[in-house]
Amino acid sequence: MANPRDVVIVDGVRTPFAKAGSKLKNIHAAELGKVALKELINRTQLDVNEVEEVIIGNTGNPVDAVNIARVVALNAGIPQKTSAYTVHRNCASALESISNGFEKIKSGTMDVVIAGGTESMSQMPTLLPEKIQKIMNQLFAAKGPSQALPLLLKLFQADLKQIKALLTSNMKDQYFPVISIMQGLTDPFVGINMGQTAEILAKEWGLSREMQDQFAVRSHLRAVEATKNGKLPAEIAPFPIGPDYKETLTVDIGPREGQNMEALGKLKPFFDKRTGTITAGNSCPITDGAAMILMMSREKAQALGMKPIAKIRGYGFAGLEPERMGLGPVYSTPIALKRAGLTLKDMQLIELNEAFAAQVMACQKAFDSDQFGKDKLGLSGKVGEIRDDILNVNGGGIALGHPVGTTGTRLVITLMKEMKRRNLQFGLATLCIGGGQGGSMVLEAEA
Amino acid sequence: MSIQESIRIIPHGDIAVVEFDMVGEKVNKLNTPMMTRLREVIGELRKSTFKAAIFKSNKPKIFIAGADIDEIKSMNSKEQFEKAVLAGQEIFNELEDLPIPTIAAVHGACAGGGCEFIMACDYRMATDDNSTKIGLPETKLGIIPGFGGCVRMPRMIGLANAFDIILAGKLVPAKKAEKMGLIDQVVYPTILQEQALKMAQELIQKGSKKRKKIFEPQGLMPKFLESIVGRQVVYSQAKKGVLQLTHGHYPAPLKAIQVISRTYGMSDRNRALQIEREAFIEAAATDVSRNLIHVYYLTEMVKKQTGVTGREVKANDVHSIGILGAGTMGGGIAFIAADKGLEARMKDINFDAIGKGLKHASDLWGKSLKKKRINKYEFQQKMDRITGTVDYSGFKILDVVVEAIVEDMEIKKKVIAETAKNMRPDAIIATNTSSLSVTEMAQGHPKPEYFAGMHFFNPVDKMPLVEVIRGEKTSDETIATIFELSKRLGKMPVVVKDGPGFLVNRLLLPYMAEAAFLLQEGMSIEKVDQAYVKDFGMPMGPFALMDEVGLDVCLKVLKIFKKAFGSRVEIAPCMEKLEKSGRMGKKNSKGFYKYDERGKRQEVDSTVYADLGLSTPTDPLALKECIERGIFAMVNECSLALLEDQIVQSAHEVDLAMIMGTGFPPFRGGLLKYADSVGSQYIVDQLEVYSSKGASRLKPSTPLRNMAKTQRKFYN
Repeated sequence: MANPRDVVIVDGVRTPFAKAGSKLKNIHAAELGKVALKELINRTQLDVNEVEEVIIGNTGNPVDAVNIARVVALNAGIPQKTSAYTVHRNCASALESISNGFEKIKSGTMDVVIAGGTESMSQMPTLLPEKIQKIMNQLFAAKGPSQALPLLLKLFQADLKQIKALLTSNMKDQYFPVISIMQGLTDPFVGINMGQTAEILAKEWGLSREMQDQFAVRSHLRAVEATKNGKLPAEIAPFPIGPDYKETLTVDIGPREGQNMEALGKLKPFFDKRTGTITAGNSCPITDGAAMILMMSREKAQALGMKPIAKIRGYGFAGLEPERMGLGPVYSTPIALKRAGLTLKDMQLIELNEAFAAQVMACQKAFDSDQFGKDKLGLSGKVGEIRDDILNVNGGGIALGHPVGTTGTRLVITLMKEMKRRNLQFGLATLCIGGGQGGSMVLEAEA
Repeated sequence: MSIQESIRIIPHGDIAVVEFDMVGEKVNKLNTPMMTRLREVIGELRKSTFKAAIFKSNKPKIFIAGADIDEIKSMNSKEQFEKAVLAGQEIFNELEDLPIPTIAAVHGACAGGGCEFIMACDYRMATDDNSTKIGLPETKLGIIPGFGGCVRMPRMIGLANAFDIILAGKLVPAKKAEKMGLIDQVVYPTILQEQALKMAQELIQKGSKKRKKIFEPQGLMPKFLESIVGRQVVYSQAKKGVLQLTHGHYPAPLKAIQVISRTYGMSDRNRALQIEREAFIEAAATDVSRNLIHVYYLTEMVKKQTGVTGREVKANDVHSIGILGAGTMGGGIAFIAADKGLEARMKDINFDAIGKGLKHASDLWGKSLKKKRINKYEFQQKMDRITGTVDYSGFKILDVVVEAIVEDMEIKKKVIAETAKNMRPDAIIATNTSSLSVTEMAQGHPKPEYFAGMHFFNPVDKMPLVEVIRGEKTSDETIATIFELSKRLGKMPVVVKDGPGFLVNRLLLPYMAEAAFLLQEGMSIEKVDQAYVKDFGMPMGPFALMDEVGLDVCLKVLKIFKKAFGSRVEIAPCMEKLEKSGRMGKKNSKGFYKYDERGKRQEVDSTVYADLGLSTPTDPLALKECIERGIFAMVNECSLALLEDQIVQSAHEVDLAMIMGTGFPPFRGGLLKYADSVGSQYIVDQLEVYSSKGASRLKPSTPLRNMAKTQRKFYN
C-alpha cells in the first residue's frame, strides 16, 4: 500500500495565536513566520540544505516584504539557494501552500517542501483615501514650486476634509482613510462584508442567536480544556516577545475560561443591528499568527529517518456564490473525498474553520441535507452527517482566532496531532474562503 | 627578476597603469626591495612620455598593507631607522613631484605606508568593498607614520580628522574616507580601473595638471578649529585625551601630536619631514614599541596556528552551536556566535532565563544600531540567528554545544551525559568552566574524546581570550575544531592543559590574594589600585578586579587552590571575613567599591575596612613593593605553571593569554616579557626579601631560582 511517492507530513508547528492589537501586535508577519519555521526545523532536527521549496500563504502582503515567503525562509536560516514563494487564496492561503507542496512532491518534482502561512492582521495598513492619493501623485510629478504650491494648498484642503470625516466617524465619506483590513473583509464582487454573508446563512438556515452563542461557548470551553491538558501548547512554538523579552507567549490568547451565554448575550449584533444574530462573540476575532509544516515524499522521509505523522490523501477547492461563501466546505469536501477515494463517513475527526458559528452550523446542515446535495452539488443525496463530537474537538477559530493566511495550515496541524493522539485513521480539514470558495484536505494517519 | 614583476608598468595608451603584485607574498608590503623598485618605477615614469599614471594592486583584498614589520623588528640602531625612513620619505617626495598627474586606485586594505603612498598621489579613488579600509595604524605599534603621513594627512583632511585616524591608529572604510576628503571618489569594485582610466583621460584632456589637495574647513566650528587659536585648542584637547586613556604609558600618540603641532602649515617640506623622521626614530627606539610589535606577532602567531602541534589536523566545520545556560556567559556566547554568522540555540530551564539571554544580545546589537555600525536589516539577521528552547529539540543539528551552567561537577556531568545523548555522535561538547577539572567532567561524556574546555572571559563580547582546555582524553580533532571556532568567533585561543584555574586564573589568584595581604598590612584600596593602573598600566587594580569577579567566587576559588597547591597559597585573614560581611562585589553592588544603580563603579566603600577587622589604612608600604609583590607573585606561579606543569607550551602563549584575558598592559609586552626585562635574578632577590618577612607564599620557586642561577630568560 505504501507508495514511495506518498506525500507525508513530518511535523507541524505554529506560533501562539493572539488577537490583533494584543501581545503580538508589534511583530512583523515575517517574524511570526520565522519563529514558527525555526521551531519546526529544530523539532524535526532537519538539515536545512534538504529543503527544496518554501511555500507560504499570506493575505496582508506587507509592503516591505511582498514575497514574504522568501523573507521568512531567509530569516529562518533556510539556505539562499532554496527558492520560496507566497500564495494567496484568501482564507485558504495556507491550505493552498500545502496543496502546492503536495503536487510538487506527488509529481516527483521535489522531495522536501516547507508549507505554511503567516499573518499579522494587527499590521495591516491604513491607506490614504483615493481623493488624497490623487493629489499626492500630482505633487510627486510636479515640476518646480509654481506647480507644487497650488497642489500643496489642495492637499491642505483635502486634509481638512479628512479630519472632518474622522471627527464625524463617517466611514462612507470619500475622504475617510481606507482601512485595508475592512476592505479585505468585504466581498469585492457583491460588496457585502463577510459578517453579512454569515447573516444570510443564519437567516436562510434558521440559526438562532442562542444556537450560535452556544456553539461559541463550546468552542471556548473546548479550547480552554485543550490548552490546560497541553494538547494545543504541544503544537505551539514558544514566542519570546521582543524587544524586552520579559514575556514568552506559550499559549493562545483567545480562549476564555468560563465563557458563558450570559456574557455572550450582552453583545449587540454587529453587522445587522436590528434583525441580526452575528456578534463579535460568535465570530472569530482578527488575529496574528503563523503555522508551518514539513512535507516530504515517503521515500525521502525514510531516507532521512523521519517519522511522519500523516499522509495527505487528497485535497479539493470549489467555488460558490460569494454571498454564501460560508458554505464553501460543503462544495469542496466531496471533491477532496472523491480524490481520496473515501466518503464523509470514513472521516473520524474533522476540523472545519470557525469563521462564524452560524457559518459552521449552516455547513453541518447543508452537509446533512439530501436536497442541498441534489440541488447544489449534483449528487444523488446528502454528503453526510458531521457529528458535534468529532468536529473541532479542541475548539476552533471563535476561541483561537483566524489569522487569515495561516488558518489552513493550523487546521492541518491540529487535526493530524489529534488523530495521532486518538489513534484514528482518517481526518478532514476544511474551511470557507472569502470570495465564495471552499477548501478541503483529507489526511490519513501514519503508523 | 622577481622584484621587477612585483611592480610593473602596463601602458594603456598615454596612461601608465602601475600594478603592485609582490611576488611570493599574499600581500603587498613596502620593504626595502619593494621601495627600491618603486623608486625605479617612479624614475621610469619621470623619464617617460606617459601623460598620467594610475597605481593599483593585483592582490585580491589588499592594496598595500604597509611597511614590513619583520624589517622594522630587525632594525636595532638609529642609523638603520634613519636610513630607511629617509629613503621612504624621499621616494614619496619623488612620487609627489612627478610632473604628470597620479591616481591611486585603491581596492583592499591600504594601511600605514600604503596610506602614506596614496597621500603622495594627486588623486585617490577607492572601491566601496568591505575589504577597502584606509588609515594609519602606526601608533598601535608604538611608532608614528614616518613616510610623510603626519605631515600630509592633516593638510589633506584637517586636524580633527587626522588626529582621529592617527591617534587611534584607525582604518576607515572607503565611504567614510570619502566623507573626510581622504578619497576623492568611491566606485564599485569591478569598475575601478575603468573609472581610474576615465579620470586619467579627463585629466589629460585638461592638460595633465598636478593638484595639491588642501583641506578647506566647512562651517563655523571646523573653521575655528583650523584657525591659529583653534589649533592650539585641538592640540591640547588631543593631548589631554591621550593622557587620560594611556596614563602616559604610550608615547607614540603624544609624539604624533607633537610632530603635527610643529609641522602643520609649515611651507618647508624637507624641514617638516625631518621633524617627523626624528620623532619616528625616537618612538621606534623605545621599549614600548618593541613590546607592542611583540604583541602584534603574538596575535599573528595565533592566526597561523591550528591548536595542535606536531601533526596536521583538520577542524570540523561549525555552522551552529548550542549553549546550555542562558546566563551572563551563555548569553554572551550566543551573542558572539550569532554576531559572527553562526546559528545559536540557547537551552535553559525556563523562558524567563532565555528571555534574559535574548535581551542581552538585543541590547548589545541595539547599541551598534544606534551608533550606525549595523543597519536595521543586519540587526534583524543577527537576532534571527538566536533561538531558545527548554528541551533538546534541534540539538541533533548542532555541531558544537558549549556548556555554561552552574559550576557544580555532579550537575555538569549529568547534563553533559544527557546532552550527548541528544546530539549527533560526531558533535562536540565544550565546557565553559573556570575552575573545575575538564578531565573529570569528561567522565560524563560517553565519548570523552569529543569533550574539551572552552573558557571564555567575562564580558564575553569584550574579552578576546579563550582558553581551549585539553582534557586527558580530548582528541586533536576536537581541540582543532574548538580552536578554529574560537577564531571564527573573533577570539584569541590559547590551548592549555587541564589543571586548577587553567592558566589565567591560576596566575591571577596569587595576585589578588597578595592584594589582600597588602590591605591586611595597612595599605588603602585606592592607593594599591591606583598604583597598578597609573604606574603599572593595568586596566584596573586588583581590588576592582576582585569586585568584578565576585568576592564570594574569589574566596571559593582561593580555597580550592589552597587545597591544590598547599603552602603556596595563603589567605589573608581579612579575606576570610569577606563571607560574613555579605560583600559579593559588583553583582550585589557591595564590595571594596560602591556601585551606582547601573552597576558603575564609584568610590571606595570606606566601611569595608572595619567590616574586615582592619583599622584605618596608614599606607606603610612603598608603592614599588605593592606592585612588585603582586606582579612577581604571578611570575613566580607562572614559572611553575609553564616550566614544571607545562600548562602551556611557551612564554608566547602566557603573554598572549595575560594580555587578552586580563588586559595585562600590552606596552609591557606581556607578563613574561616584562619579567625578562627586569631579569630573573632581580625577581628572585625581591621575592626573597618579601618572603623573609614571614610570607612563605612569596618564596621564589625552584624553576625561577634555576633561571636566575643560569641567567636564563623565559624567552630564549
